[in-house]
Amino acid sequence: MLLRPRLDDHRVIGKYTGKIIIGVGLLMVIPLVTSIIFGEWDTVLDFVISIALCMIFGFGTQILCRTDRDLNWSHGLVVASGSWVVATILGAMPHWLSGHEGSYLDAMFDVMSGYTTTGLYLLQDLDHIAHGLNMWRHLLTYAGGQGIVVIALTFLFKGTAGAYKLYVGEGKDERLLPNVVHTARAIWLVSLTWLVIGTALLAITGMALGQEPVRALLHGLWVFMGAWSTGGFAPQSYNTLWYHSLSYEVVSIVIFIAGSFNFALHWAVWTGKRKEILKNVETVSFAITLSLTVLIATFALAKAGVYPDAMSLFRKAFYQLASGHTTTGFSTIYARAFVTQWGPIGLVATTIAMAIGASACSTGGGIKGIRMGVMFKAFIQDIRKAVSPERAIVSAKFHHVRDVFLDDGLVRTTMTITIAYLSLYGLTAIVGTLCGYDFLQSAFEGVSAASNTGLSCGVTSPTMPDVMKALYIAAMWLGRLEFMSVFALGGYFVTMVRGR
Amino acid sequence: MSRLSRSIAVAALLAVLALGAGCRAAGTPEPSPNEHSSTELIESPKEFDGSEIAFAGEVIGEAMKRGDMAWLHINDDAYYVKNVEEGAQLGGYNTGMAVWLPADLADRVTYFGDYKHEGDIVEVEGVYNAACGEHGGDTDIHATSLSVVETGHVVVDKTHPAKTAWAIGLALLAVGLCVADRFWLRGVRGHRA
Repeated sequence: MLLRPRLDDHRVIGKYTGKIIIGVGLLMVIPLVTSIIFGEWDTVLDFVISIALCMIFGFGTQILCRTDRDLNWSHGLVVASGSWVVATILGAMPHWLSGHEGSYLDAMFDVMSGYTTTGLYLLQDLDHIAHGLNMWRHLLTYAGGQGIVVIALTFLFKGTAGAYKLYVGEGKDERLLPNVVHTARAIWLVSLTWLVIGTALLAITGMALGQEPVRALLHGLWVFMGAWSTGGFAPQSYNTLWYHSLSYEVVSIVIFIAGSFNFALHWAVWTGKRKEILKNVETVSFAITLSLTVLIATFALAKAGVYPDAMSLFRKAFYQLASGHTTTGFSTIYARAFVTQWGPIGLVATTIAMAIGASACSTGGGIKGIRMGVMFKAFIQDIRKAVSPERAIVSAKFHHVRDVFLDDGLVRTTMTITIAYLSLYGLTAIVGTLCGYDFLQSAFEGVSAASNTGLSCGVTSPTMPDVMKALYIAAMWLGRLEFMSVFALGGYFVTMVRGR
Repeated sequence: MSRLSRSIAVAALLAVLALGAGCRAAGTPEPSPNEHSSTELIESPKEFDGSEIAFAGEVIGEAMKRGDMAWLHINDDAYYVKNVEEGAQLGGYNTGMAVWLPADLADRVTYFGDYKHEGDIVEVEGVYNAACGEHGGDTDIHATSLSVVETGHVVVDKTHPAKTAWAIGLALLAVGLCVADRFWLRGVRGHRA
């Protein structure tokens, strides 16, 4: 029997959702200050309105939903997924007020893409937007990469037991430290350290490439945010093709590969366990699948004679594939070049890389390296069982911070999530095809959205049917939160209607 | 009709109303000034690779000088005459070409397109490379000449009175709720104590 949520359940959910939305409003102060510094007064008003709306929602729910109850598991999942929806609706306000979006749906698409570190966008005339709005786009993706719940945990929550449920609801399950609020702060410590070093490196490189100091600093900061969060937003419509520089590409590759690694791996390295990089199942899996997909794409491009020399060929293939595999979405080729130059095999190789994706508990999306590792180990274990004597006990283990033995429960969970991802990839590809797009291109774009990558071959555009925009928003959300908390939110609404 | 069906119907109706609101009408976008637009060059790389072309559009961002040479980015999209900040109707994404040319030619550009500027409209002549060997496979134009067709200008950042009124009104309401929340919280705590 389904139990309808009681008033106190709504209050708990409202209270914590409100807190997170206050966090989103506070985050908007950064682009507001940016616009004030650069004298972008119309954009200043956009952010004042948007901050005010967040605060009205946040403090309004605080007043209406007074309760001393802590979160239980279902509350945590509903708050995590529900707050992403509210944060998207309210976070879209600066985009829409800027006049650069065709509709509110387009604005919401861009904001969900930012939070989920996808990087697809529908904003038009990007090359003429305000610094404040560009700061907001990149801040969305940087904050979304760490998790907007993580932000709230860091700054707005006291260490309640329910806080951990919120954290898990956002698709993270690694506990770096015993206390979840300390874990959230550890994630920020790692991220902010990388922010300072990465921005400095990119800004210095930008100045060496001919950028003015202020532009070099802003571009350095924004490209860092896009890279570290594996978001893929860039300040110009040319994406990272803008810089025409091997050194800029190398620095950005190092940042987005680091950003795609598990925070537990970062923390292990941070605390002195450097060998973990070589032993971890996710880094091993990533190295193997990246090498294979680069090899396939390089072979196809060499056969087609797209690039004039081996260096250009490898540079382009490695950059796009590494970007796709880490679910970053940076690109040094035009979007349509995936179709007009790379051809079907290049498209398929990139699609596979995006589908596999980055590491669990990282800023990236996709099926994840750890699941590929677990499935591979389980497959090998099954073969060993088949060829061993009946009574033999065949065990298998993998290394992820510590040695973990494979059991049926772990393999089943891994398979469930993998099948959910594959179904979502299939659904987006089929809907794209039904809307009149080529199947391969629909699959590329659908996988890109659902794996939170953001590479585009030209399907995503402001003229795309609304049904595809809505589906991609849902796919980005489901992919980022890894399904369970979104299903919990759906279940919450069903019990509201059908429960007793 | 069951309660679930009714709820789904109401939610769908609200979603349609919410999404339909705020749609901005698309106008007739400014067409590319070029015989072969950047979109055509990208769509048919083999056809144009290595050919001499003339390419015109708005210079955006900045000139990135590398020794005696420089990179410019020239957009021939719907915003090359007037951008969205000046009131141009939405006409899709930005599109353009990266141009590699002598730095002294880049010096002729006065305004680069951004939020506060509509950039100079220039025309360059040179060779189109679908995948340039000199630049790591980038798609670019190696230009040998540049002429300024129309000098750009500063774009005035106007604030709308209605927006200002909304900003003030909503900010006051937000502050009011914040104070009420703090006051109420303190009141409850005081009462409990």
